[in-house]
Amino acid sequence: MDSAQSDARRAVITRLDEWRWHAVADDREVGRGDASPRPDGRIFVSVDAWHGTVFDRLAAAMLAELPRPLHTMVDGTDHDTTSRWERAGMVVRRREWLYAVPTSSRQGAAPPPAGVTLLPVGTAEVGPLREVYSAIRAEIEATVGWSAMPVQVPPEPAGGPVDPSRYAVAAGPDRYEGLVRVVARRRHARIGLVAVRADRRRRGIGSAMLVDVLAALRRGGIDTASADVDESNAAAVALFDGVGGRRVGSGLELVVR
Amino acid sequence: MNRASGGIEVEGTVVESLPNAMFRVELENGHTVLAHISGRIRRNYIKIVLLDRVLVEISPYDLTRGRILFRYRN
Repeated sequence: MDSAQSDARRAVITRLDEWRWHAVADDREVGRGDASPRPDGRIFVSVDAWHGTVFDRLAAAMLAELPRPLHTMVDGTDHDTTSRWERAGMVVRRREWLYAVPTSSRQGAAPPPAGVTLLPVGTAEVGPLREVYSAIRAEIEATVGWSAMPVQVPPEPAGGPVDPSRYAVAAGPDRYEGLVRVVARRRHARIGLVAVRADRRRRGIGSAMLVDVLAALRRGGIDTASADVDESNAAAVALFDGVGGRRVGSGLELVVR
Repeated sequence: MNRASGGIEVEGTVVESLPNAMFRVELENGHTVLAHISGRIRRNYIKIVLLDRVLVEISPYDLTRGRILFRYRN
């Protein structure tokens, strides 16, 4: 029996506090598990162990002691970890695609509908921005809910700061109709959210905003933007496919209820 | 497994992305290790891409294997 296997069998699993477990063999930590609640209420768990047996034992201990449902994220290509969580009782709940969008793409370029003006990042007024953000947030909570959104799109606290330097918007005659949240760091940008008011969708506002944001990023020297898109969100998938996005990775959310 | 447990942690650069969510990481001493990403990174859905600077914990059981604990902002 090799030392890893021996340690795995002898390891003692201990819950350290509300959210942390570890496995110790011969005074050496050979595995640990963590859990953390997200703002939307979901509890996500993770396990790190050098040996599969320790992983399985930690996962079993955590799933037995934590309130359900419990979630975890696994890389879409990580079949080993996916299998381990499935053995522990989890099932795949959804997949989100990681898109890379070349900012040079003019695919899907079209002017916004009449009466709609695109305001680049940093130029939106705080008041109307907060209003459209709150309206869209309420629509999401009343329909699909945040738990169906990509992990990278957490709900921000109601009444919290909405930073105009992170948003481009589509302005209508008397209110903002949609927004794109974008964070640029050096040569890369992340598109965090593309959203249009429910009563203004299917008019090309989302794609017009996105194409405009990509062009602005290009002018700023950024070649690629990335975004996470839930596989079941057909409109978002079509939007990113339509602007020339490529799927470069994926993540699986697993759940045990 | 963490700093308190005395695991070997070294910085390196991701030089190859491999199947099954594995990465080849070149360490500062010139050695390369095969590394997977830590559960915490997976849970927070932090993306690891080519040329990322990362902190790797080396397996005490196999010095050619490791786990990516942290991605530095390049």
